[in-house]
Order: sequence, then structure tokens, then C-alpha cells
Amino acid sequence: MARALEGIRVIDLTVWFQGPVSAQYLADFGAEVVKVERPQGGDQARGVRSIKSLEIGDWNQYFLVINRNKKSIAIDLRKPEGQAILYRLVEKSDVFLSNLAPEVLSAWNLGYEKLAGVNPRLIYATNTGYGRFGGVSKPSFDMTVQALTGIMARLGEPGQPPIYLGMGSGDAYGGIMSALGIALALYQRRRTGRGQSLDASLYGAQLYLAAPYLQAFLAGHRESALQHSRRDVENPLWNLYPTQGKWVYLCEPNEDARFAALCRALGEPSLAVDARFASTEGRRRDCRALIGAIEAATSKRDHLQLMTALGAEGLVASPINDFADVIRDEQAWQNRYFMKAWCEEVQREVDIRGLPVTLSKTPGEVRTLGPQLGQDTEILMMELLGYEWEEIEALKAKGAIP
Amino acid sequence: MTRALDDLIVLDLTRRFFGGLSAMFLADFGARVIRLELPSAERAEAASAAGASWNHEADLIHRNKESVALDVHAARGRALLRELLGRMDVVVTDWERGELAALGLDHASVSAVRPDVIFARISGFGPVGPDADLPAIDELAAARTGMMPILPQPGQPPVYTGAGAMHSAVMLAFGVITALLHRQETGEGQEVDVSLFGANMYGAALDIQAFLAIGSGERLLNPISRLDVSNPMSGSLYPSADGRWVTLTMPDTDRWWPAFSEALGIARDDPRFDTHEKRTAIHRLELIRELEERFQRQPSSHWRTVFMEKQMSADIIEQFDYPARDPQLRANRYVIELDHPSFGRVQSLGFPIYMSESPARLVRLAPCRGQHSAQVLGELLGQSEEAISELASQGIIA
Repeated sequence: MARALEGIRVIDLTVWFQGPVSAQYLADFGAEVVKVERPQGGDQARGVRSIKSLEIGDWNQYFLVINRNKKSIAIDLRKPEGQAILYRLVEKSDVFLSNLAPEVLSAWNLGYEKLAGVNPRLIYATNTGYGRFGGVSKPSFDMTVQALTGIMARLGEPGQPPIYLGMGSGDAYGGIMSALGIALALYQRRRTGRGQSLDASLYGAQLYLAAPYLQAFLAGHRESALQHSRRDVENPLWNLYPTQGKWVYLCEPNEDARFAALCRALGEPSLAVDARFASTEGRRRDCRALIGAIEAATSKRDHLQLMTALGAEGLVASPINDFADVIRDEQAWQNRYFMKAWCEEVQREVDIRGLPVTLSKTPGEVRTLGPQLGQDTEILMMELLGYEWEEIEALKAKGAIP
Repeated sequence: MTRALDDLIVLDLTRRFFGGLSAMFLADFGARVIRLELPSAERAEAASAAGASWNHEADLIHRNKESVALDVHAARGRALLRELLGRMDVVVTDWERGELAALGLDHASVSAVRPDVIFARISGFGPVGPDADLPAIDELAAARTGMMPILPQPGQPPVYTGAGAMHSAVMLAFGVITALLHRQETGEGQEVDVSLFGANMYGAALDIQAFLAIGSGERLLNPISRLDVSNPMSGSLYPSADGRWVTLTMPDTDRWWPAFSEALGIARDDPRFDTHEKRTAIHRLELIRELEERFQRQPSSHWRTVFMEKQMSADIIEQFDYPARDPQLRANRYVIELDHPSFGRVQSLGFPIYMSESPARLVRLAPCRGQHSAQVLGELLGQSEEAISELASQGIIA
């Protein structure tokens, strides 16, 4: 099968989540991604042993899934000899990606000017916390940056604590934003022959997670910053309702015919003739009363009964599933959003998140899960970078490589 | 200065926020993105959206685009559309497949006149499978993803965030450029699909992957109270004296404990908390209660200062007024100020990707309906001025 990014080599000097995800997208579509890690312990994500106090089991799915399809070379970049190895790799590469702090990269002589001097065609990508400009430099993690964007504070019922979008939610978004930037730069370079530097920060990306609401706020709609109750939404036909089982999300426009169908599905003829709810405007004005009435009806049955009744009237709705439902969801497996992959660590097939971007002719693939730390160091140095074995021995003696 | 995509012509068939946003990313980097406006229902919608207040949404998601209004129900309009399709490198759409086919805008029809086209679509649930033709509604997709029940505090209703739709927009733009990179090498076009379902699942990446691997666990199926988090110093929320919330991400508590305990007024060698094991397992709940009480002793401004001084990975949970006035966002053009002809100086979301040689630019605000019809027909199809004014008088273009 053809690979869209065949022939593109990426240096992946990233740790934890955002940076590795960004390079994962490139690796999935066929780029040769070389993960550069410190010899002692490598990427810190290799050390993850539990998630939400749950043991992660016998394989580290945090690290292995987002570092799939990658090679690993272990280099001590604090040493000049280690930096020299990286420069050789830069000569042979198209993209350099890092989510280490810019100060660290400078201290290791890996700033843009230095690497562009080695390879003027290089695309130099960073994932900073708060952007390249403006002077803010402090530790950045998914949740502490998400906190600043305002997205957390507007979610949840009024009076409830803010809502975090989920572990890694912002990192995942920063990761795809960064992958987009790199792809743009690669496309341009094919035409101009010139490299450049780019940055997709965690802050800049996460602002777009709330784009419709933040944009409304910037335009003066102050209320979009605040929590809103589900008991008080303008269109009661587009809302979530409790049942005796799962909650159900109803997604219908506020139109007379749809409301009539809903009343039939709920078996509530009295609602259909209630003068307050006889028009779009009335349903909007008396939304609290109508939401209460719909909820009273949905609460009498379980979600399966309710879904059947809604479906019979052609109403669009979904039960609000949990992960136990999702991992069995045929739609996710058929579209390869979930896949099976061989895990060397445990010598069996495991279930992983697959390919969320579907290209019909170059669909991407998962060839291997994440590499062992430094597994490709020697072979890459000999075959790609042209080192003699004696030189490799000498570099080992100096501690530049393990 | 060159633009990354200035050799591309893109047809924008979108009517939802996420679809428009996806094509915006291409327009921001120099692609010529042309929105096709149809007669009838679409027109009423556009008219009702226009009004006395700034259409801030259109000036975000449709900035840098052009607009062509074409009567595709007339034979001459259809012929022009077919000619236009022949000039398109990329189609970006969030329409349903049936709608596209009815107007000859589906992949099969477009690739018949433009074999190397990149045809990109945001779907609800992906190109294959039993639910491939469910509508592209983000709430439906989010509901299927398993994440909504576990976001709130226990006992609270599920939470819809809208983040999945934003994820889909960037994923589709990435898919388009990836497909273009393949086309640069091989000349081959293809279809790109990103679904709201798949995008929502990637936003919930770690939880879903953990459940896929572990296959069980109440702590992954049900909300976890903020007073029962796994690590009191990571992923936790505490109220401050002024009601604003504090959040901490310091998973390696050994590293942070000396500075952190001092800032909170807890003795560094307090025997209840003097090891990672004690802080996150043996006395976890006790530490949570302790932090809950201590954070409420000072306002959020105090905590922000402390976090900055000690370079801690912690911050205050802000509302939108914070990004609206944060100079860091101006410095990086994440939020921009622009001169609107009708509404003066206004603020808008800017550009999340910085590129040194080909930065994103604001060239124009959202086009009016049909604003570029004549220009596009002239430039792309070589129609003469006379022909264009005749088409306009016949109502074929507007």
C-alpha cells in the first residue's frame, strides 16, 4: 500500500503526549520517525504505570500507542559528542520536532539557527507551552494550560466545579495542530526548496477547543463565558434527558412537526396541545417548563425503550454511552478508529486507538507499537549516518550513546 | 513572502462551524478558498444571520475566503459548476452524501472532471459501517464516545464540551495536506474522511486507550470526585478564597513537595506526607482535605504569584475574560484585533500555528454572498465581462 509521507524523515525529540502525538500522525502515514531519547530512562512517559489509580496492566499503553511506527535512538544531548551525532541526523532529515523547553534546546545547541545552519531545508517545529513570543515561560501541562483558556469554567451546571475535558485532551489537540503545521511546511518546501521554523503551542491550540464560544465572548457576548444549566436551554428539543438507564441526547430542531413527533414518541398528547408550547417561540420562551415536562416523561422509561420510541418517529437521538459500550462499537472498529496491533512487550495482540484520519488511497497503518529505548541506535548510526564501528565504540566510551 | 498553499484552489461546501473552520485553516495559509452559495433555503439562512450586530462567527470561519453564488438548478448554472469543479484541487465539505450526489458534487462526479482532486469530508461516523450515513452532529458523536458521563462530578448530568468538533476541523485539514503531499509525488488524488465520532474519540485519547487495554474499571466508567483524585497534586481542583479554582499538575510529587508544602504552609517533613507513597496512597484523602482547606485561605491572585515564583506546574481556572486581555495571546497572534468596516476595532480569534516564512494572514473578512462570482468566473473560467453580465441578468450568478 502506498504511503503518503514515504521518504520524509522526522527527528522526534519529544516527551509525554503532545509532541509524540504530533509525530505519530506523521509516522502513521509513512514518514520515517526517529525518536531521540536520553539514554537514562528515555521519554518520561515510559515510566507511566497507572492511570487514575488503575494499574495499566502488563503493557504501557500510554507510551506504546502514541510512539508507534517509530524508531528510537538514544543520545546524551548534553554532551557535545552527542550533539554532533544529532547534527549528522539533521543533515539527513526533513523535520525536527521537539516539545522540550526552548531554553533547553538552546542550552544543547539545538536552536533553529544552529540546526538550519546544518540543513537549510530543515523544517524546525516546536510545541511550546504558551507560544514563541511574549516572554511567558513556565511549566505547561495539558490541564494547567486548559485552565487559562476559559473552556473549563464555562462547562458544567451552574455552581459546579469547572470541567476538565479529559486526560490528554488538550495535548491531543495540540498534537494534531502541530502535525498540520508540519504538513503545511512540507508542502511549501516541495515547491520552494526552503525550510522554516514553526510552533504550535498548547495554549494557542487549546483556545480553539472553545472557538465558537470564545469568539462570541470576544464579540461581546459575555454570557458565553458562564456555565449554563441543561434546564434552561433555548431549544428543548436539542438537549440531554435522563431515563431510568442511560441519559439520552436528543438532537432536533425547534420546529412544530418535530415537536409533534416528540410528543407522540413520549406518549404525551397533553404536551402536544399545551398552548405554551404551540410555537417555536413559545417553546423557547417556556423552555424551563417544557424541559421539565419532557424530563418527567423520559424518566419513566429506560434508554432502550426511549430510543425505540424516538426512532419510530424518525427523531435523531443517541444514548450517552460509556467506555464499555464504546470499545464494542462496531462503527469504531469498521472504520479502524480501533485496531489490533502486535505488542512485543507482552507477545500478543492488543487493542489500540487506530487511525482517525481516513485517506482512501494511502490509508496509513500501524506496523509496530512504540520502540524499545535506543533499539535502533547502532543500526541508524552505521547505515544512515555512516559511522564506523570504531567511532561508535569511542562514542559509547564517552557516554554520548549507551 | 510566499504563502504555504498559494497554488491551491479549494471549493468550500460547508455550512457547519467545524466544516467552515477546517477550510479556514487552508485559507489562512494562502489557499484560494471559494465558498459555493446555492439559491433557495441557503439564502434565507444567510439573510437571517445578517443583522445589526457583528457576525463574529462568519468573520472567523470564513475569513480569507471568496464567495460564488450560482443557480445550480439552471442548466447553464450546472454547466458552469462542472467547469469550476475542473479547476478545484480540493473540495472540503460537511454535507451529507445524498445532498452532494443530488447536485453532482459527490466524489464520483467531481473526480470525473478532476481526476486528481482531494475530496475531503467531515462525516458523522466515518465512511463505512452501519452508521456511515447518520448525520454529522457533534452531540450525537460525543454521546457515543463514552466520555460525557465521566467529565462532571459524581451525580451530575453528562457534559457535552464541543471539543470533538474542533478536533475534527484540524484533523481534516491535516488529512488534506497529507493527501496533497502524496499528490505532489504521484499525481494521484483521493478521498479524505474525518468523522466527528473518530475526532471525539481522539480527544478522549488516554481514557479510551486505558479502557481498551484494561477492559474494566469503575474509575474509568464513572466520574471521580475531585475529593477522590488519584494524586492530590495532579489533575486536582481546589477552590480559592475568592471562588476561583486552582488546578495542579505535579505528578512527580517528590520533586515538587519541598516548594509546594512550603507554599501551602505544611511542614516539609510532616510525617503524614513525607513520601510519594504517603501522599498518593496511604494518606491521599487526608492530603486532599488538607489542600482543600488551605487553598481557601488565600485568593487566586496570591496562588498565581506563588506558582509563578516557584515555577510550579499549577494555575488558576479562568473565564474567557482572561484570554481576552492576556498580552501573551496578542504577542503570538492567537487573538488579533481587526478593523471592521461596520463595527470598528474588534477582537477575533487569530492563528494557532506560527510559521516563520509563511505566516497565516488576515487578507479579508468573510465574503458577502456572491461577492466574488464575477471575479472567479473571469479568472478561473475565462468568462468575458459581457458573458458575466449576461449571466447576472439571467440570475445564473448573483
